Amino acid sequence: MYPQQVQHYLKEFFMENNCTILGEEHHYLTVQLTVDIDKRIMNRPFYWQYIEATNSEPNPAQVTFITNQAAMAGNLFGEAIHYGSPRLNRLFQATRELGAYVQLFEKVDGDMGQVILTPWLGVNFKVSYCCDRTKEMLYSFGINLLTGVIKEDFHDMICASEFDTEPAENVFHVQYIIKPIRALERLKATIDKMIEQDDHSWATEAQKRWQRDQRVLDYFYEGVDDKPECYEIERKALEEQYASKIKIEIINGGIFYLF
Amino acid sequence: MIIERSSEWEEGFNNRLNHLEQWQSWTLYKMSYDTVKMKLIPDFTGLQATKYLPNLQPLKHQLEAAETVIERMNGKAILADEVGLGKTIEAGLILKEYLIRGLVKRALILAPASLINQWIEELNSKFHIPAMAYKKNCPIERYDVLIMSMDTAKKSPHKERIYEQDYDMIIIDEAHKLKNNKTQIYEFVQGLKKKFCLLLTATPIQNDVFELYYLISLLKPGHLGNYDTFQSAFSASKHHLEHDDYLKELVNQVMVRNRREDTGIDWTNRCVQIVPITFTDEEREVYDMLGALGGASSFSLITLQKEMCSSKEATALTLTNMLEDHTHSQEIEAILAKLMALEVNSKAQKTLEIVKQANDKVIIFTEYRATQIYLQWYLHANGITSVLFNGKFNKSKRDYMKHLFKERAQVLIATEAGGEGINLQFCHHVINYDLPWNPMKLEQRIGRVHRLGQEHDVHIYNLAIENTIEEKILALLHTKIDVFEKVVGDLDAILTNFKESV
Repeated sequence: MYPQQVQHYLKEFFMENNCTILGEEHHYLTVQLTVDIDKRIMNRPFYWQYIEATNSEPNPAQVTFITNQAAMAGNLFGEAIHYGSPRLNRLFQATRELGAYVQLFEKVDGDMGQVILTPWLGVNFKVSYCCDRTKEMLYSFGINLLTGVIKEDFHDMICASEFDTEPAENVFHVQYIIKPIRALERLKATIDKMIEQDDHSWATEAQKRWQRDQRVLDYFYEGVDDKPECYEIERKALEEQYASKIKIEIINGGIFYLF
Repeated sequence: MIIERSSEWEEGFNNRLNHLEQWQSWTLYKMSYDTVKMKLIPDFTGLQATKYLPNLQPLKHQLEAAETVIERMNGKAILADEVGLGKTIEAGLILKEYLIRGLVKRALILAPASLINQWIEELNSKFHIPAMAYKKNCPIERYDVLIMSMDTAKKSPHKERIYEQDYDMIIIDEAHKLKNNKTQIYEFVQGLKKKFCLLLTATPIQNDVFELYYLISLLKPGHLGNYDTFQSAFSASKHHLEHDDYLKELVNQVMVRNRREDTGIDWTNRCVQIVPITFTDEEREVYDMLGALGGASSFSLITLQKEMCSSKEATALTLTNMLEDHTHSQEIEAILAKLMALEVNSKAQKTLEIVKQANDKVIIFTEYRATQIYLQWYLHANGITSVLFNGKFNKSKRDYMKHLFKERAQVLIATEAGGEGINLQFCHHVINYDLPWNPMKLEQRIGRVHRLGQEHDVHIYNLAIENTIEEKILALLHTKIDVFEKVVGDLDAILTNFKESV
């Protein structure tokens, strides 16, 4: 993420969350936070605890974020922010919490007359393969809530479209037949199937590394009848290090009424 | 295969379907997807950490070390780079990588007390890792990355508190302090769970090969067999071993060691020489009398002879202490009388000569406080300014002394404990006034000046008095260096640029 991408990200995030931009140049941005965003990104729980306990007037922070220190000229007081900095991580986290669920209606031209929109459930999954190493994959699926048809790369398909949060007057949106919760189960089953068919030599390799280390450990305690506590600690450490598992989490998803 | 599913999202989704909560923004939805996609870890191998650290420019050997430890050593390794090559940076990279990959949630770092602040500063500012120092009543269960001193960690009630925590990664700085398996700290570390573990030391062998054996047995018990099989497989005794190629191979499976010369950085030269000194007849007489002192243990005789090679002040202090309950007090009084009558210190004279010749900043290392004070007086009497440096100094005093040395004085006189954790690249001459038994102490001392940032050739003078215990120490140092090179790898010159065959 280059400085200008960070700058763009900040601006979009703050505008979307009703924080007033008080000033900006290409390398910095000054913003008045709202109470909600302050709580989410400024990491000062004691202040907010105090304000709430004493019923005081809240005073959310005004911050200058400097996205490109190299381009700085003159006196500018603010917080340097870049990819990897803790503050940007908090912003990412806030974005994730505030952009997890949507219900949207595709925009259609007013002169098209009466149109019918079809309901879809779209869900973005992150799948992580973990042992003593990790690999992550992102899967996006959409399921038609009338027919049950499943589409891959659903997010890419819809991300360029424009949406309204309420249906326009000339559109008729069909109620779903398949309940969203049922549909979600089907998507989860699809993910499971994909995982099942994937190459899992990574897990076999981890298993081999585990066995090798376990043999070394056993060799150390060979002939010791009452194995000391540290043997058990080491054995457990190896298990935690090498045992392979797969994590599935949902990043975000929602109901999309598509043309 | 275990599959972990989080149902968190589903609950929120249900709430929205049932109109209990609000739907959210499409813009943020897309931003969130893009962020996750950007942060995705696309492969099992390769470093992600560098993407997150745009302000850190790690050196090539540091990146390679991090990759080797993660990909070939599965996160358990001894980082044994030579002094001054940035072992902390390597450890930081590895920790960061595991944090990013979610394989480490909590880490414990053990370091000497004097280096704790430096660790916190580096991890926070260079790596954005929120590391906290251990304090008596702090809520450690809330600290994900905790730094504490070994001396605190090994004692109750701190020990028990640490054992109650569950750390995924243990990092131990100056890990040669774990060379002895009979110590409290060794037992403490043995009892820690070491899922991922880094031991940092430039000197994995200080005196004998068993130290390395114990270090590796802590990291990966069984890697070198158990004690008996290790000893018999390599016919190992303190200063001797066989099949060293095979042992080296095993050691290299768990150890990364970068040498200055293979970093691709242009290092200044290290000119090391042994400076032989001859006692005056009077000094020799006292030295011989000390050797013949009756009723003393051989240990105290060696101590006295070593001290005599340093200064009469150091010797006198020990002798006076011995007077109290010693059967040969008359003999001691006689030696003391001769000793106090000495007018010349040959070694100090030579030192003065070197300092004058260098006509530049010089660090003198001595093992004795009494010698340290004497040397300051002696140099002062000859018009040379100096400052003293001891390990007991607190941080601000250390910094002040370093400042005085840089700005005002020509000479810094340090005792052994002054060797760790100070960086003095602005100085190019080091005099080892007394020789330690442990060659790695010499390496640590030289490392104070011969490190990244040094722009001049550095000159090292090892002083040794002829026909004394110091010659024996020299021979033993050569033997120990030989064992180190056989098992760990080559060393930069410590004693002299000309290698002696042992």
